[in-house]
Amino acid sequence: MASCSRSHVISLYRMLMKESKKFPSYNFRTYALRRVKHGFRENQHVDNPRTLDMLLGQARESLALIKRQFTQGRAVLSAPIKSSMMALLSCQ
Amino acid sequence: MRTPNYLDSAPVFNRPLVARCPQDAAAALRLARRPLSALSCSRPERRSDQAWISGSLVQQCRQYGDLPPLTLENIKDRVMYVLKLYDKISPEKLQVSSHFMKDLGLDSLDQVEIIMAMEDEFGFEIPDAEAEKLMTPEEIVQYIANKKDVYE
Repeated sequence: MASCSRSHVISLYRMLMKESKKFPSYNFRTYALRRVKHGFRENQHVDNPRTLDMLLGQARESLALIKRQFTQGRAVLSAPIKSSMMALLSCQ
Repeated sequence: MRTPNYLDSAPVFNRPLVARCPQDAAAALRLARRPLSALSCSRPERRSDQAWISGSLVQQCRQYGDLPPLTLENIKDRVMYVLKLYDKISPEKLQVSSHFMKDLGLDSLDQVEIIMAMEDEFGFEIPDAEAEKLMTPEEIVQYIANKKDVYE
């Protein structure tokens, strides 16, 4: 599948880093950057294509989440959004 | 005969941003203080324009903020500085021509992070296709010099 190719992984990594840098709050920003880096690094040597697909799907979902979060809740992150986002990010 | 009451009758956007510069600004002064309506009609220059200013010569000057001009040396210094700050690179082993993957032992994810740090430093986007080809600091300097039209 095309989603398993190396360049797709690299571009997903770039987009996730770019979107994570846009968080206005220091805590979320550092958490997101660290989580993205660690998440990609610990799954670096996975060979099984199914696991790869699943992981890449999770990465795309979190990218969509961060993008939505950034455009919707830009000025104020209210408490329900915060907790649901942290829950989603931490269960990956 | 019109009296030179330009400051009273001129529209707001035509008023000069004055600064007390000790430079000869006679021509600039006359040009700056002429209202728009007078520019279209061809009247002879009048020497009495400066009469209303009692003190020193004032000159219209606008100041724009800008970054210092980029030179090859400057770009190289900034690139090496950013690379030395990266914690996975030991500063002693870092040379201008050291390859990220072969000499410094980084992988492609690290290379993406380095290129993003360069984007932040220099303030412009580097597209993916060209970013994955930049493997040494020398190539990065060349690429930025090409993009920013810094002549060698």
